[in-house]
This record gives sequence, structure tokens and C-alpha cells, in this order.
Amino acid sequence: MKCDWVQQNILFYVYNEIEDDARYEVEQHLARCPQCANELKAARKFHATLSQHPVAEPTPNLLASSRMLLQEALESTQQGGILQRLVFEPANWLRQIRFSPALASAIFILGFGGGIGATYNYMAGRQPVENVASLPNSSSSTPVEASAITGIRSVTQEPGSNQVSIKYDTISTQEAQGSLNDQRIQQLLLFAARNNYNSGVRMDSVDLLTQAPDDNRVREALIYSLQNDTNPGVRLKALDGLSSFVRQDPTVRDAVLRALINDAHAGVRLQALRMVEPMKADSNVRSVLLRLSQTDQNASIRSQAQTMLAQMPEMD
Amino acid sequence: MPADSLVAAIPVGEISRSCRAGQASGTQNPTVRGSLAAQGNRIDDTSLIREAQRGNRAAFEVLVRHYDQSVLRLALHLTGSESDAQDIYQDAFLKAYKNLGSFRFECSFYTWIYRIVTNLCLDHLRKRNVRKEDSPVSVDQSGEEYSVIDQFADVRAGANPERDLMRRELGGKIGAALEKLTPRERMVFELKHYHGLRLRTVGEMLNTTEETAKNTLFRATQKLRSALAEMR
Repeated sequence: MKCDWVQQNILFYVYNEIEDDARYEVEQHLARCPQCANELKAARKFHATLSQHPVAEPTPNLLASSRMLLQEALESTQQGGILQRLVFEPANWLRQIRFSPALASAIFILGFGGGIGATYNYMAGRQPVENVASLPNSSSSTPVEASAITGIRSVTQEPGSNQVSIKYDTISTQEAQGSLNDQRIQQLLLFAARNNYNSGVRMDSVDLLTQAPDDNRVREALIYSLQNDTNPGVRLKALDGLSSFVRQDPTVRDAVLRALINDAHAGVRLQALRMVEPMKADSNVRSVLLRLSQTDQNASIRSQAQTMLAQMPEMD
Repeated sequence: MPADSLVAAIPVGEISRSCRAGQASGTQNPTVRGSLAAQGNRIDDTSLIREAQRGNRAAFEVLVRHYDQSVLRLALHLTGSESDAQDIYQDAFLKAYKNLGSFRFECSFYTWIYRIVTNLCLDHLRKRNVRKEDSPVSVDQSGEEYSVIDQFADVRAGANPERDLMRRELGGKIGAALEKLTPRERMVFELKHYHGLRLRTVGEMLNTTEETAKNTLFRATQKLRSALAEMR
């Protein structure tokens, strides 16, 4: 009976993950039990065998190029940050709540709106409050959420009466929840991927779109982001999402090839290069690789393209 | 600019919340060579992190240097491919940079960054399982299948073809056995066996308990032993 327990724990003994009191028990038992001692031998042999697949140290080249690529990627992520910091320096929290310029205008206009409203209120007479400044969207005169107002469209007073009518716009922040299969969620993601000024939100949307079920619109959106997004991180994400379609969809393949030639960021081109590698027999791919090996600005890309060409079978 | 801003609440990455799972531990830094260096690093890290959170990119880069070699080593050994390792490296540190604001010092930075890397590695392993039929494979002299793309990593292999072949044969068997594990089993085994992390730390990185990590390791080694026995 004890043997079972010992054999269960021999693994952790070998990995030195066993509690001290348990270790004592195991060692005591092993001294007396040849069967378990054999089991220990087997476990140690297994451990040694697996260790023959050694952990290689990354080459200095690999480390250096990884650091360089990261630096480049950080540089482009930083630019938006600099602008934000210069303009809104004291308010760090604004960055975290995804600051909207509309909010700033809302606060600004609110001052005017509040002022105008108050003026009309006063001038309309000394009547009790409920007869004055009737707002179209509310039956009682409860105050409107100040930060939600983006602008006052019109202020009109009924001639010869105390009634004032004010039309105003508000920001209404809504929340949609659902799975990636949900049409509304997909619609919002597609919108966010293209239109959001904040690269972080665009990146998150593209990331989720890559997980969304296969859909022509999703593919289109990813291609669009790959070709047009200003942020290389987002373009890389889009590439990543398209990678499973590269082989079967010629539109995707062409988009990736175009990115390979035209993208300004070396990291993106490198990723695209890796993605087309399995299709090296394709004549389109071959001609792109040829061009790349001669004219690309980045030495690593040129040499990788050359290597790939050299490995390709001769084809007419 | 439209006046209506629609916000979709979709949970994107629960990095900040997951730190709390490891709170009880008093995390260790087992793989950094020289524990004194590790201690020194940990003290420096706090001020570096704060600086980086304030937007100081140079501070972030120094912070990265404390960890990037071991991150790359892990990714390289797990994926077997330099380009895949590089991808994981990029994704991990970019994600860290983007989410640095949500790091609240509830766990060590080491655990935090490794949690990001581990999740990316798990994603990679899952994708690889799905794409196994698609990936271009060829067959070498010993009849072992190997992935064509990974060949590029071996170009610099060295001048001893016999030793490389032998290493590749054994590596091939072990590699094949490792493929039989589920992504989580593979991850636990990798972190424990090849990188010497304590199971408690492994549990934290995978957002689970030490007990679960222990059980996972047990299952993984059972599978590996039977897989290797079959291959003899």
C-alpha cells in the first residue's frame, strides 16, 4: 500500500518538489523496497532522456534583431503617446478612459448652454419653476447630466409666453455585450477597426476580429487594416489574422504580397515574408521575392528572400 | 467626429485581474543566474516600472533587458523556430508596454511578464494543433517528418552533420512525444523540466493552483513515458 503512495510521489521527488516530511518517508521506503527503487531509477532515466533535448541559448543575432524590432515597434506606438502627453499633460487619467475630444467640446459648450439657459430662465419671469424652460425630452424639469451635453442646437421662446424650447445633443455612451458570433458585436468591431482614432482600440478590435468566425466582411476588414492602418502594431495583428487564409484565398494572398512590397515597417514586411514562404512555388510569390531580394531596404529581409529563392525548385 | 461614441464592453485581456491569483506566494525568481543579481534587479524594477508607466520609453527598454533573454529562450525552446520565438517576443513585450498602466505591483513583474508570455505560448501551441494538417512537411533521411519552415532556423547548425543528425533523431522522438501533450500539459512540463521553475510559480503563471500544476505535470510525464516507450 505504501508503494502506491511512494510511486505517486517519486516524480515530485525527482523534480525536488516534494515536501520535506514526505521526502523523508520516501527515502526511508526506497532504502527497503527494491521495486520502488527500480521505479526511481526509471524515473531518473526518463528525466535524463528528456534533458537531452537541451535548451539552446538564443544566438546573439536573434536577440539583437528581436530587440531592434521591438524598438521600432515601440517607436511607432509612442508617437500617439507623445502628442497626447504634450496636449493633455496634467491629466494622465484621460489616457486611461480613452479621452474623447467630443467630451472637451461638451464641457466647453455646456458653459455656454448653461449660461444661455440660465439667462432665459431668469428673463422668462418670476414664475414657479415648472412653467419655465420646458425641455422637449423630459416631462419634469430635472437637470440634464451636464457632461453628456455636446451642444445646444436651438433655443426658442414662444412669443408672448414663458415657454422656452431648447434642442440639445448629448453623448450617449452605450454598451453592447455579446459573443463574437453576435452580428451587432461584429458590426461594432468592424467599425472600430477602421474608424477609431485610438490605435489601442483599433488593435483590440482587430485582435477580436481574428477570432471571429470566418466571414467575408471580417477578411475585408483585416485586409483594409493591413493596407491602411497607420499603426504597424495593428497591421501586424491584421496580418496574423489573415495568416490562415493566405493559402486558400487569392485576395488575401495578393494583399499580403502587396504589404510585403509596400509596407513601410520592416517588422510587418518580415512577418509577411514568413507568411508567404510556404507558397514559394507560386510564380507571383517568386517574382515578389526576386524584387525583394534586390530592392528591399532592410538587409535581413533581402537575405531571407535570397535564401528562399535559392531553396525553391527551378521553375519556368 | 460623430457625437455619439459607442463603447463595446468586450473583455480584452484580463492581465490586471489575474495578478491577484498569485498574491499569497512571495514569488521567487528561480531562473535568473545568481540570486543576488535577482534581488538587485527586483529593487531596480520598481522604479523602472514606475518610470515606464509615466511614459518613459527608455526605462521600459531597460526593464525589458532584464527579462528578454530568458523570455526568448523559453519561446525558442517551446516553438523550435526562431521566427516564431521572435513573434512571441514581440507580442509579449508590446502587450506589456500597452498594458503597463494596469500593473499594480500585486505580483512581481517577472510573474506578470511570464504570464503574458505563457499565454502567448499557449495560443501558439493551440494554433499549431489546428494547423498541423496544413503546415508544409518534408521527410528527412531517417524518415522523420519535419516542418519545412523550421529548417531555416537550422541553417547555422554547425560543422558536425553526424552529431546534428543524431541530435535531430533524438530531438525528433522527444519532439514527437511532446506533441502528444495538450497545450497546458506541454506548457507545465516545459516550464518545470526545461526552465526549472517551481510548480507554485508555474501555477501562478497559468492562473491556477500549485496542486493543479502538480497534477498536470504528473499527467504530462505519464503521457511522455508511454509515448517514448512506444517509439523504442
